[in-house]
Amino acid sequence: MTMPTGIDGNAAAIDVQDLHKSFGDNEVLKGIDVHVDNGQVVCVIGPSGSGKSTLLRCVNLLEQPTSGRILVEGAEITDPDADVDKLRARIGMVFQQFNLFPHMTVLRNLCIAQEKVRKRSRSEAVEVARRNLAKVGLADRESAYPAHLSGGQQQRVAIARDLSMDPDMMLFDEVTSALDPELVGDVLAVMKDLAAEGMTMMVVTHEMGFAREVGNKLVFMDGGVIVEEGDPREVLSHPQHERTQAFLSKVL
Amino acid sequence: MPLSPRKRAQLVRYIQYAVLVVVVVVVALVADWGEIQRAFFNWPIIKEQFPDVLTIALKNTLIYTACGFLFGLALGLVLALMRLSSVGPYRWLATCVIEVFRGLPALVVFIALAVGFPLAFPDYEIPFGNLGTVTLALGLVGGAYMAETIRAGIQAVPKGQMEAARSLGMSHTRAMISVVVPQAFRIILPPLTNELILLTKDSSLIYILGLAIDDYELTKWGREGMNSNANLTPIIVIGFCYLLITVPLSILVRRMEAKAGRAR
Repeated sequence: MTMPTGIDGNAAAIDVQDLHKSFGDNEVLKGIDVHVDNGQVVCVIGPSGSGKSTLLRCVNLLEQPTSGRILVEGAEITDPDADVDKLRARIGMVFQQFNLFPHMTVLRNLCIAQEKVRKRSRSEAVEVARRNLAKVGLADRESAYPAHLSGGQQQRVAIARDLSMDPDMMLFDEVTSALDPELVGDVLAVMKDLAAEGMTMMVVTHEMGFAREVGNKLVFMDGGVIVEEGDPREVLSHPQHERTQAFLSKVL
Repeated sequence: MPLSPRKRAQLVRYIQYAVLVVVVVVVALVADWGEIQRAFFNWPIIKEQFPDVLTIALKNTLIYTACGFLFGLALGLVLALMRLSSVGPYRWLATCVIEVFRGLPALVVFIALAVGFPLAFPDYEIPFGNLGTVTLALGLVGGAYMAETIRAGIQAVPKGQMEAARSLGMSHTRAMISVVVPQAFRIILPPLTNELILLTKDSSLIYILGLAIDDYELTKWGREGMNSNANLTPIIVIGFCYLLITVPLSILVRRMEAKAGRAR
């Protein structure tokens, strides 16, 4: 599946330049450069502790980069004057642990940010929410509480919650890692549909099949640096670097 | 022959029952039942207490407690948020207020407000008279306790909740109001109930203010009744009234917890 790579001359969706991030003395990211074009699906793989989740969390500033620049649609978000809240409203983020709001129904989960951040009316928010719930196949569960849903359903609600904000791009942080194996497929199917619609996506994942089938670019990280990147099929079938080969031989 | 563990457990249980029965029987034999009835459950005195003990004393206890608790809750929330603030002086100030009012006996706070305040600020008075003073005193004491409870509750909400709210574009304040604090209050419902019950009893300290009979709350009412009748029956009556407040409260909160549990 190939994606349109955006109109020529358009700024890249996400442009990460020489990104460093340290937690205390522990340098987790040691100079990362990543480029995500509009409509592209970039998958990031690597062993645990390689810094891939930290990279993703830096892109919507859940982690503050130690140094380097991140540009989202040409605007430098690492600039101290950047409006972080406005930026985050345009970038959807889906977490490993779903992070639905447990004290609200599914419908409220989808509406609250639309009303409080996007300033939509209640009825408009509900309409958008129902449309997105239908999209992830959960139209009949709008009055349930998150605790009453399976992990896979919760994760699809989380995706619908982000979609309801009409984001320009989505970040996925190991979104299937906490799911029972038989529930993974439903979530991946929703993500595939999104990719097919041309959503710009940056996906940290262990699902090599998804990366191969849906990704436009695969990035392999280890030890806080990008070891290898390129066409997913190419990297997965013919890894050039020995660290990539070692990692893939363990997971494939 | 040594007993098997199950037999031994059964024997221990029988012994415990036997001890209970012996204690009850001994107490029943030793007690002077005629005197107990005359001094504690004197029917004419009980009848005389009603309905005023309900319409005046119980009502006042409820009002004093509710005002003190609500003020304390608001104060506690503000102090908790100050304790979690990134601004150093806010944290220090909140810590001082909490340590002082948590450490002082409630009676001392009442005396400070009732006697100390008029001496220190002769040109001012606490608004709303006795009700204002009791609200302030109970609120300060309760707020200091609740601040630490609320802080613990806020910190018990998983970090991912704040992150999810922020990643949807909510400001820190908005995320606190809509996402974190409502969940924190669910977590701390049991300790908050405890605090409300403690305040119900601490509201009796208002006697220090010197009250007109219409302002009597339960304990003051009971003491006056005890003195004028030279009989302990009024104390039993007001004790019953306290339970009339606290027991339904406990049941209500248990129901709310069960409901919140279903949504979790």
